[in-house]
Amino acid sequence: MPHESALRTHALVRHNTMLILREPGPIASRMIQPLVFVTLLRPLYEAAQGRIAGTEQAVFGTLVTFSLLALSIVGGSILTERVQHTWERLRTTTAHPLEILAGKGLPVLGVMLGQQALVIGFGAAVLGLPLDHLQLLGPALLCWTLALLGIGAALGTLARSQSELSAAYDIGGMLLSSLGGALVPLTALPHWVRAVAPVSPGYWAVQSLHAALAGDAGRCLITDAVLLGFALAAGLAAALGLRRGSGRSARM
Amino acid sequence: MLSAHALVKRFGGTTALDGFDLDVARAEITGLIGHNGAGKTTFVEVVAGLTRPDSGQVTIGGTDALRTPRQARRLLGVAPQEPALYVSATVRDNLCLFAGLAGLSRRDQRARATALAAELLLDEVLDRPIGLLSGGQRRRVQAATALIGEPPLLLLDEPTAGADPQTREALLDAVRARATAGAAVLYTTHYLPELADLGATLAVARAGRVIARGTQRELTRGLPGELRLRFEHPPVLPERMRDTAVLADGEVRIPSADAPADLAALLAAGCLPTAVDIRRPDLDDLYRSLAIGDTPDQEPVHAA
Repeated sequence: MPHESALRTHALVRHNTMLILREPGPIASRMIQPLVFVTLLRPLYEAAQGRIAGTEQAVFGTLVTFSLLALSIVGGSILTERVQHTWERLRTTTAHPLEILAGKGLPVLGVMLGQQALVIGFGAAVLGLPLDHLQLLGPALLCWTLALLGIGAALGTLARSQSELSAAYDIGGMLLSSLGGALVPLTALPHWVRAVAPVSPGYWAVQSLHAALAGDAGRCLITDAVLLGFALAAGLAAALGLRRGSGRSARM
Repeated sequence: MLSAHALVKRFGGTTALDGFDLDVARAEITGLIGHNGAGKTTFVEVVAGLTRPDSGQVTIGGTDALRTPRQARRLLGVAPQEPALYVSATVRDNLCLFAGLAGLSRRDQRARATALAAELLLDEVLDRPIGLLSGGQRRRVQAATALIGEPPLLLLDEPTAGADPQTREALLDAVRARATAGAAVLYTTHYLPELADLGATLAVARAGRVIARGTQRELTRGLPGELRLRFEHPPVLPERMRDTAVLADGEVRIPSADAPADLAALLAAGCLPTAVDIRRPDLDDLYRSLAIGDTPDQEPVHAA
């Protein structure tokens, strides 16, 4: 049975990877945009916060903002499965729902981790971002990516159309990154924004990345746990939505 | 192979299945017919594990499909009514995915995809994205995803809807071949001649129940056929035929449950036709009489 499960999961991962690679435009865009963005905005952040803090803010702010926008890759792929009825079709096979989710999620997880590694690597190699605590940075990026996967999947199950999904990502993503202090440091924002910032997963991502860079393992543990909480809650919402199905009978 | 008993499924105030019973044996093709809303697709969704019934039992190959649905789905190939294919992927990619999910190795996936594509006249488009295929080609790919694991039970929900004659013929040949090899096939359609071509037994659904079950011959026995007659001059028909006879396309058409006797009565009355055609009752007559409800008070027929 585990062998069969591995075969099915492998088939799904291969298939979904192929689907992503067949339409590489959105991925390439999500990879290149943050590099341009961080290069152009770093001088502004440096002028406001100094060289080290400014670079840190520019890299992490860009990473969080653009990884929020990359939610569209997750949600879009799930919405497409729903619209094309392939999700229902997969449910009629022997594949376990976890295998289907893994097949869908693993390639996207790879893409998102790749995007973040690219931004961090660019920050380190070109902008001089110090990377002294990779053992903390790795888990922080993984927890943030899992939270994004969960949120993206939940939105993908709730959205009724591609335009609804786009609106949710563009407006919601930007709002969450701003609210979380990714684009502008929280210290420079009004008091009420600082008070509500912790409701944004972006806030915890920024806090986690700063803690990882500073080598604060205790703070990392807390922020990573909160991000995993977001991942779990959103993942459960997605699973419930998908379990309900979208077949003809389910719509009656 | 498939056994469903006393299935009930309600959606709010709508009862989609209301005591639905159906058995399909190995090597049997069963045509499930009925008007829209009769419960056909809900039944297919229940068997496929997409919808859970409020009550009732479903077993597939002796496995309880409601308690252990994944185990039951090992025996199942489904072609849903609505197209469910990855449009940016090629035909081969789609077939290989479902072959992989059926447990085939990578090499077997490709071999089976190639063979099935040839059988369903898809070999020339095997490496073409689904989005570039015609409706008929997509229908065949959809059916192929159900066939590729060679399951012992096939659920084909209107697999030829909108298909051209060539497509339909290729699909029917493939279905017949699976049944000959021992697979049980549940086939829903509105194209009734297909079921005659397939030699299918019939299950007629109405209002969430199977109201008639048997072979075509059994179920059409007793239904009126039709006498179609041409005359040189307008005839004076026997009185008992005047109310039911109609004139269409230059023919006098008379519903008849006993064509030889009625023809004899016409001749005895001096009606001498220049041409006679006796049309036997077919599936359309059955469909009309049972499913649409020309005879709404008719008792269920269980001929098989």
